[in-house]
Amino acid sequence: MHHRHGAGDRRGCINLTGLDDGQSGIIVSVMGGEMLTKRLADLGITPGKELKLIRKTLFSGPVQVEVAGSKLVIGWGLASKIMVEVK
Amino acid sequence: MRDDNKINIVLAGQGNSGKSTIFNYLTGLHQHIGNWAGKTIEKAEGTLFYRDHMVDVLDLPGIYSLTTVSEEELISRSYIIKQNPDCVINVVDSTNLERSLIFTLQLLELERPVIIALNMTDLAKRKGITVDVKKLQKILNVPVIPTIASRGSGLTRLVDKAIDLKTGKPERTIHKYGKEIEQGIEELSDQLKGIDLPYPLRWIAIKLLEKDSDITARVSELKPRAVESSLRIMEELEEIHGHDSPLVIADERSLLASRITRETVRIAKDRELSLNERLEVLTTHKVTGYLFMILILGGMFLAVFSFGNRLSEWLDSIFSGWHDLWEAAVGTSFWPALGWSAIESVLALIQIAFPYILPFYILLYLLEDWGYIARISFLMDKLMHKMGIHGKACISFIIGLGCNVPGCLSCRIMESKRERFITAVLVTLVPCSAVSVIVFGLVGKYVGLLWALGLYIFATVLIFIVGKISSKLMIGEPVELIMPMPDYKTPNIKTIFSQTWDSLKEFIYIAAPIVIVSGVVIQGINLAGWMPAIASVMSPVTVNWLGLPAVTGILLIFGILRKELILVMLAAYLGTTDFNEVLTSQQMITLAVVSMFYVPCVATISVLWKEYGWKKALVITLAETAFAIVLAGLVKRGLDVFMV
Repeated sequence: MHHRHGAGDRRGCINLTGLDDGQSGIIVSVMGGEMLTKRLADLGITPGKELKLIRKTLFSGPVQVEVAGSKLVIGWGLASKIMVEVK
Repeated sequence: MRDDNKINIVLAGQGNSGKSTIFNYLTGLHQHIGNWAGKTIEKAEGTLFYRDHMVDVLDLPGIYSLTTVSEEELISRSYIIKQNPDCVINVVDSTNLERSLIFTLQLLELERPVIIALNMTDLAKRKGITVDVKKLQKILNVPVIPTIASRGSGLTRLVDKAIDLKTGKPERTIHKYGKEIEQGIEELSDQLKGIDLPYPLRWIAIKLLEKDSDITARVSELKPRAVESSLRIMEELEEIHGHDSPLVIADERSLLASRITRETVRIAKDRELSLNERLEVLTTHKVTGYLFMILILGGMFLAVFSFGNRLSEWLDSIFSGWHDLWEAAVGTSFWPALGWSAIESVLALIQIAFPYILPFYILLYLLEDWGYIARISFLMDKLMHKMGIHGKACISFIIGLGCNVPGCLSCRIMESKRERFITAVLVTLVPCSAVSVIVFGLVGKYVGLLWALGLYIFATVLIFIVGKISSKLMIGEPVELIMPMPDYKTPNIKTIFSQTWDSLKEFIYIAAPIVIVSGVVIQGINLAGWMPAIASVMSPVTVNWLGLPAVTGILLIFGILRKELILVMLAAYLGTTDFNEVLTSQQMITLAVVSMFYVPCVATISVLWKEYGWKKALVITLAETAFAIVLAGLVKRGLDVFMV
């Protein structure tokens, strides 16, 4: 468990999959193991960064996001661990 | 050549940054370049002579970050240290500067001379992105050279710079972290003084704070006190920042990259969407995306088939008179007959295999170069999860459609051992181009296109079922998909043709000798009159269970070498490519089913052996053979009932 998601309870804070297509948010926290959070950090997904959800797929498939100026595909399960504050 | 005229360069960069293109351009070596992450799996080396210098270039696997604990990363790190290169060329995707910079910052911490190749500046320009090169150079304090690797632009300047760097002594700027981290690094560097490790002290200190297991283990042997201190410092850091020390460092690095990007990159707003951006929307949309996928893959199937058939018929009309000419010239006794079978084998290879493989590779490389394969991964991720793997496996499957060997090798892009193995097993079930030759050239041509299509759908369903079962059998949690999505780019005709040519060349070089030898051996056995004896040994399976002509037993054995041999040898043995004269429709389908799923070819088995050990390779081989025979027998019985 991480201390990181403490901020996740703040108001207006939802997980990434709750964003609509085209909506942006600021990353608040990433809930996950050390390996995962580090891997995400290396791809530029860290708290404080702006993230834009480009599109989702059907049936809780992966989501496509734009963060740190590049496009990434993230599996649904993982996306639901990334908390964002809607802009 | 004098030693100071030798230069040793390592190319490092994240996947899809154009690193391999630069490598190929510099060394002239034809290495497979792909539009997806981590394509360079084994390191590649090449040499170039330039300005009186001998320049050794080493291409490292595409890496996302020097801290992620993947095999490739460890390899790359140790290479940069072991190779002790005169300079590291960091290939950076200028359309993705921020992400690339995270890696660059880590690379700089290794304190080797670095040159940045700011690649794909043409793409950036088209996307309205301008990078202030001078400013970037100033902030990072390393040479930055804009390049367009696909056109070779800026690449000689890179080498010029590398040569200059060797003679000059570059100064270095340390990119500092926050105050508390820097204090920790300083304290640790102090304690690490004199340690017998080939790394910079500051870098070792950072790795300790990042909880790098490899470095921590090595330091605890040499300087256990430093490890103790690092534990205390990390505790303090976690106290202040509220989360794990490796994350504190990763966060700060990521924010630093962000800041540098903000200072150096300008993005023009309100641009018109380019054609590729419009296609992006259509091909990844939750509804149209799937329609496009079906259209694209279906279109590919039809194109390969219709082109293949036409070319095959045309070649047939050319070769048809050759046998008579040969007999008229050299007679019909034993040796001329044996000689003809060698020629016949090659002609059959050209006529049967080549027409289908050629369009297949052209289309495959077209999709790859365009960037479509990553979209398939995106669209198929959910389905792949049902098999306990994720969308990236599609990349291996699609490579496997060409050839199972690179398909199995590409499974290394999967993150965990478990997923790698499941994907590899499934790839061996993917009908490779050699199997497609049988499906198209036999079933498609003589039974009907729908039947051929049906066989592919059958294979897909089967792969899904086997995947589902193996994900239940193999213990472990499935890993989630994280994958960069490369932008579509206008396919480069030259790249596509050169890749197609490379694949065809490999096909001809490897297949032709095997085909000639096997053709002669089979004809020799036949002329010596041993055929019935050998065939009868296998007839309980081939004749009784599968309902095939006895000769197929021998063909299936040769098919282990290369699967298209089954058809090519059948043609050589019969002396005709009109297979409907000797096989019924049911037999064709049964033969195709066995060929699809029985033993992966020798090359694939050896790759499985190398990657997963002989036990697993043997189990897969035997299991698939037994499975294919049982399955084909059942299919035959089904066909007997339904197909009259």
